[in-house]
Amino acid sequence: MEKDRKEGIKGMANPGRYGIERVAYWLMRITGLGLLFYFIGHIYETSNLLDGKAAWNSMLELTQTTEGHIFLTLVIGMCVFHTGNGIRLMIGQAGFGLGKPSRADYPYTPKSLNMKGKLCIYVSIGLAALAMMYGLGVMYDV
Amino acid sequence: MMSNIMRESHIMKIHYLTALIAVGFVIIHIMVRVTQGFANSLEFESVIANYKSIPYAIVLEAMLILISVHGFNGLRIILLELKQGNAYENAVTYGCLVAMIALIAYGSRTIIMASMGMVEA
Repeated sequence: MEKDRKEGIKGMANPGRYGIERVAYWLMRITGLGLLFYFIGHIYETSNLLDGKAAWNSMLELTQTTEGHIFLTLVIGMCVFHTGNGIRLMIGQAGFGLGKPSRADYPYTPKSLNMKGKLCIYVSIGLAALAMMYGLGVMYDV
Repeated sequence: MMSNIMRESHIMKIHYLTALIAVGFVIIHIMVRVTQGFANSLEFESVIANYKSIPYAIVLEAMLILISVHGFNGLRIILLELKQGNAYENAVTYGCLVAMIALIAYGSRTIIMASMGMVEA
């Protein structure tokens, strides 16, 4: 903890420390920002509809490339992870799955950072990977 | 500050509620695309027909509002985690609020005009 304070915001941000929960913390924020930027882009993209068929088709061509498909696959993955992990956080904030309170003994492992929570994070990552594969299948008509 | 108008606990409840309802609407939105065939559903005529269907236009408008509220409140939360202070917090809160209203207005313009057939030939 002392080392964290000396490192400042870098210590707080280090995804290699505190296990998968810290990784989930970062993934939640990165996917959230990614989805917000995608959403803004999607609103702009769909507004091209008002300029007629030619404008719509030329905008659509951007997404019908390999790069476009990879981008959309990443969006699917971000969406599914953000949803899965978000539901985990909501359940946790409602007080479920946090473990029973007990006397703090060495090595002071927090009861709330338990296997149920870790499993939910891994399941969210797994579901995101599956959804990305399904999305690729739909986009490439497999 | 926003917390003067509304408690942070209430804002978090709105954040969670908008997320849960938006997930339902996004599932409908994706299912409409997938059931019509992904490529076919993106044809100009097909998309215009989607907008002209009033129930679907309502789903799109609801999604626009819910995701904008959730997204910009999420951005506000991330920015407030990085730095604190009255002036900064006010700037972030009102900045996100203005951006959210602007995005909803711009998206609503598309939905209303497309559903009324005000599209260039």
